[in-house]
Amino acid sequence: MLFFSYFKDLVGREVTVELKNDLAIRGTLHSVDQYLNIKLENTRVVDQDKYPHMLSVRNCFIRGSVVRYVQLPPEEVDIELLHDATRREAR
Amino acid sequence: MAVGLRHFTARAGNGSGEPILDTDNGEELVHVQPSVSVAVGDRAPESPGTLYITTRQVIWLSELDREKGYAVYFLSLSLHAVSRDPEAYPSPCIYTQIETEADEVEDESEDSDSECSEVLDLSKIREIRFIPSDANQLDTLFQVFCECAELNPEPIEEGEEEGHNWIFSADQLEDEAGAGDDVEWHFSQNPTNTIGHSNGHHDLASSVLELQINDQRFEDAEEMEQDSDTGHHHQSQHLQD
Repeated sequence: MLFFSYFKDLVGREVTVELKNDLAIRGTLHSVDQYLNIKLENTRVVDQDKYPHMLSVRNCFIRGSVVRYVQLPPEEVDIELLHDATRREAR
Repeated sequence: MAVGLRHFTARAGNGSGEPILDTDNGEELVHVQPSVSVAVGDRAPESPGTLYITTRQVIWLSELDREKGYAVYFLSLSLHAVSRDPEAYPSPCIYTQIETEADEVEDESEDSDSECSEVLDLSKIREIRFIPSDANQLDTLFQVFCECAELNPEPIEEGEEEGHNWIFSADQLEDEAGAGDDVEWHFSQNPTNTIGHSNGHHDLASSVLELQINDQRFEDAEEMEQDSDTGHHHQSQHLQD
């Protein structure tokens, strides 16, 4: 549940979600659930070549299993905290 | 469970025209929305029809043609969204993306000739829009889509926990290399598995970081094939068949 907790703390921040089909969507993280399904608000497509008509949708729900990366604002990432949390989780 | 968009023709014969569901396995109807058009891929909207949202799938049945209907399981819906931008699409709608067989087997030979052919190959459709005649229903529909999608996480295969061959350090690789090339890799689809789950007695303090950064198991399979010549010449290389 580590990343579920981690993403919950990032609600309200701007993130970019990159899907396994190469689509990248930027938006405000609205919520996340235990399966890492992600809801974004004020979304816009980062690279419009593949899905040009998905220009701007107000809210979107992204299935956790199709996410490749979640790009975070660097100032939100506390690496030491993540190190400690993952080590603790692994025990 | 079938991946991608499917034809759906099983309607109750009692005149209600409702779709026949897999009630034996617990599928239930959650929401019915009449007066909905459907736009499959790049095609023009088809109407009128009724949208049925169940605990497992989304079904659209045509009101004009009782032999016409489409369905897609929530397991195949990569994302859904409320689309109100007229530049994106003229009518406000629920926009959804569908994960197809092609996505799963990394088929590069995609052809978007679904517009030209008379016989529509639904399995290649990647986008579908549901256009209610009443745009005020969009937020409700979006909510129902969310709730039902959440009911359909990736299925967990039993026995997968014991079958894991998680590697935590290069030392462990050398130990197992003695067994020859018979190491069987299990790729977990389960997103709730926490990284660093240990089934051995290893020091994880430094290894967890290595797992996250170097382990090629976290690469997408297609990248592995493309990059086999250029990168990943570290300890994991010899484990490929």
